[in-house]
Amino acid sequence: MTATPDTPAKGPRGWITGRGAWITFLLVPPLVVMTLFVIYPIVSALAYAFYDWNGLRREGFVGFENFRIILFEEPFASTTWQAFKHNIIVFASLMIVQNGVGFILAYCLWRDLWGARFHRVAVFLPVVLSTVIIGYLWKLFFHPIFGVVNQSLKAVGLDSLVQPWLGQSETALAALIFVNAWAWVGFPTLVFLAGLQRIPSELIDAARMETDSEWHLIRKIVWPLIAPSTTVVFILLFIGSFNWFELPYIMAGLDGSPFGSTDVLGLFFYRTAFGNQSAGVQDFGLGSALAVIMFLFIAIVATFWTLHLRKKELDL
Amino acid sequence: MAKLSLKGIRKQFGNTEVLRGIDLEIGDRELVVFVGPSGCGKSTLLRLIAGLDPTSGGTFTIDGREMTHVPPSKRGIAMVFQSYALYPHMSVRENMTFGVKLMGLPADEIEARINEAAAMLRLEPLLDRKPRELSGGQRQRVAIGRALVRKPDVFLLDEPLSNLDAALRSDVRLEIAKLHEEIGGTMIYVTHDQVEAMTLATRIVVMNGGAVEQVGTPRELFETPRNTFVATFIGSPRMTLVKATRSGDSFEIAGSGAVTLPGAPDSGAEVTLGLRPDALTVTPDGEGYAADFVYSEYLGNDAYVYARLGDGTLVSARVDPASDKQVTGGKIRVAPRADALHFFDPDSGLRL
Repeated sequence: MTATPDTPAKGPRGWITGRGAWITFLLVPPLVVMTLFVIYPIVSALAYAFYDWNGLRREGFVGFENFRIILFEEPFASTTWQAFKHNIIVFASLMIVQNGVGFILAYCLWRDLWGARFHRVAVFLPVVLSTVIIGYLWKLFFHPIFGVVNQSLKAVGLDSLVQPWLGQSETALAALIFVNAWAWVGFPTLVFLAGLQRIPSELIDAARMETDSEWHLIRKIVWPLIAPSTTVVFILLFIGSFNWFELPYIMAGLDGSPFGSTDVLGLFFYRTAFGNQSAGVQDFGLGSALAVIMFLFIAIVATFWTLHLRKKELDL
Repeated sequence: MAKLSLKGIRKQFGNTEVLRGIDLEIGDRELVVFVGPSGCGKSTLLRLIAGLDPTSGGTFTIDGREMTHVPPSKRGIAMVFQSYALYPHMSVRENMTFGVKLMGLPADEIEARINEAAAMLRLEPLLDRKPRELSGGQRQRVAIGRALVRKPDVFLLDEPLSNLDAALRSDVRLEIAKLHEEIGGTMIYVTHDQVEAMTLATRIVVMNGGAVEQVGTPRELFETPRNTFVATFIGSPRMTLVKATRSGDSFEIAGSGAVTLPGAPDSGAEVTLGLRPDALTVTPDGEGYAADFVYSEYLGNDAYVYARLGDGTLVSARVDPASDKQVTGGKIRVAPRADALHFFDPDSGLRL
């Protein structure tokens, strides 16, 4: 065998170069789009939060001043904390109502109770409806005089419960939470159902040989085995609850009527950053600061919570 | 201490009748094996006994107590599943204590039972492991241990060896037999493997098409099968059935000639002969049915010669493994031993 020294060596190196070019060719376009439309806006929002703004004109660098104002200076601070409190209420209530009912529905569907096939579709139907339609529909349902809610209460003789659901501070937020749960309950139901269906039937049989208590079965066997589904459902609900915007915006308006009782961080951010007829304030810097705080809060909590929940998950 | 009594047990799924009136008495300390082909209803029957599925009819009692509507956990029954069905999120110890804790036993009693079962099944070093860290054989032992700690009156085992490899299978089979000796409980064992059935059972229940074909000891089923189904299902290699025409004591097989079989039971002119490999001897010439050599099978301890009779039926004959090379091809003769033959009615399939 003779070598040919004047021929350039082909082989691994040439191949890697070709492969590298190919990888670059595939990766660059999506990276450019991501940078332009995702990373750049996030970074610039972060940057905006550190400047003073006059309308849409950027003024001087002010450091953490916007953060201080939005969190600790009136009249912003009380609104921020009030809105944050409402987000927490929304999250906690939806955890119990939406996910709780979702689990019960999933369990009933899984046990193949009567009409399971129909309900599997029916439960998920509102999820595919637009939030605008749902908000508008339920605004009509909750109408104090013509609404189907009050009409039904009257029809069954519960006149004492008839009230302007969306028009008073005591019930407005609860009504919104109810509508959200109604609209979204299909999602946790479906995810839980998928988790339940992954449990081998012999495992459930084995447990039934040892206990006839449905409660024990759920608590000790079923619930731990659907841990992966709960992680997804909990984290998405957490993110959704603290980014809550469309439904309160459509049903209660940008001010979180009545009297700020349905105000949440999403609405307050919008009012602050883009202004509102009633708000009288429009400050891009303050809005950006609030957005950054919301982003960091959601990202940090969601990350740690996911890590914590993942540890508890099991491979069946 | 447990006697089981099943009377007219039926099970329907929609319009399909899966079990059609099973009557069965199972005595205390018996190891009864349900055996039959896939879809014969043996696993369904086991699930009905366990209480995992409701019956469509009939009654079921344990020691005279009506059990038909008692929930599974209150029947005094423990079950070992084919897939082991260990709780993946619990350690071996937790798997074993889950049921007994719910029974409300005191902690020291539970501990004692765990230790006893762990010692019996060599599970001590595994108690703190999760099921996913165990091998198939270990998982199976844990599943048995979980059943043991409950000290049930009746053990149900649903194809417990079918997920194990062949070598492990015979080990665990031996352990189950030993366990039955030691704890002396009533056991019901489901399998489609007739070797498991033959080696383990005090009595075998052969099922087919949702009905019991025959109940008996392994020896009874092998030596006096009630019908052609049982005859061909029990025994390996399978019994061959061949149609013969009788005149007196002479039985003729089409194309293979006639052989005189003295002492045959009364029958009509047409009869079905059941030929097990043991009942046939191979001779190059002389007495016997004429057949064409097909191939021979050497298995170490045994050797079988397969040959085709004049009517096209393939029969097998056991031969001395040292001498199987003697028959290599061409025309041979297979001679039946009259005392080892089985005679069946060709229409009903029943034993004559």
